[in-house]
Amino acid sequence: MQAAKSFVQAFLKQMLLGIQLSAVSHRSGSLQERKSAIKLSADVAMAVARGSKKWTRGLIASLSKEEQNRSFRQFVLGKDFGRPAKLCHSSWKIPRSKNIVRRSLRFLSKRKSNIRAPNSSVLAGTLVEKRTQVLKRLVPGGESMDGFSLLDETLDYVTCLQAQVDVMQKLMTTLEASKHRADSNAQCPKAKLHLLAMVGSCYSTRKGLWKRLSKRPKLTL
Amino acid sequence: MSGRGSRITDEEINELVSKLQSLLPESRRRNTGRVSASKLLKETCTYIKSLHREVDDLSDRLSGLMVTMDSNSPQADIIRSLLRS
Repeated sequence: MQAAKSFVQAFLKQMLLGIQLSAVSHRSGSLQERKSAIKLSADVAMAVARGSKKWTRGLIASLSKEEQNRSFRQFVLGKDFGRPAKLCHSSWKIPRSKNIVRRSLRFLSKRKSNIRAPNSSVLAGTLVEKRTQVLKRLVPGGESMDGFSLLDETLDYVTCLQAQVDVMQKLMTTLEASKHRADSNAQCPKAKLHLLAMVGSCYSTRKGLWKRLSKRPKLTL
Repeated sequence: MSGRGSRITDEEINELVSKLQSLLPESRRRNTGRVSASKLLKETCTYIKSLHREVDDLSDRLSGLMVTMDSNSPQADIIRSLLRS
């Protein structure tokens, strides 16, 4: 089961916008700050690109609560956080995000009281029950899910995680290749072609150009 | 699994379980029918943790790559072109 192409496209775009708007492009940030910014952008992008699921609401809620993500609320709620984003052509406004944040915060406070509710399953204490608890902690928002719903959300979450890893890997390969070829005039390394094909860019719809691009000498990555 | 048979059929549960199983990396080697619930849960948890670690590691490496991302770098060009598409 693979993530939908529309998800992959939305995820990549949202993540890149988030990275541009965050500390990453500013040289003054430390390595740790940049890493946190990228991870945050990736997670938020994944949740926003997927839309409204229990795990996405849970993820956004838990991300907004983390202290180091103070400016996160400003990203997601579309407010201008005051720093000029030199590379950004459009602000990172996500139309549905306000609702997602509001619903997540309501969701969290509503469910808090249910976390300690007695588990009606007859399997309490068994291996299955113990491992279910572990899974609930791994899947965002999982604490309040039960049975079928937990499995359903897990399936969706794992599919999105796989796509997240896949896109980030391809992005990294693309950037690495371009870095090593900064001097040469290589226009479109193979990795970038894969990335573009994945997001269904204009390159792939223009057959002639696509054929010409793929006929370029093979570049070792 | 909780017994919500009135709304969710056994077939639905089976389908969900087999879909989940097919996502897990070890399942490709195994062609048997059902695995036990506890094994499925354990492998799912292990897999999710490894995916989390991968994302963490990739964030690390990407942050190292993006350190030189000023307006004129080829990386910024790539990102801009990806955003335009």
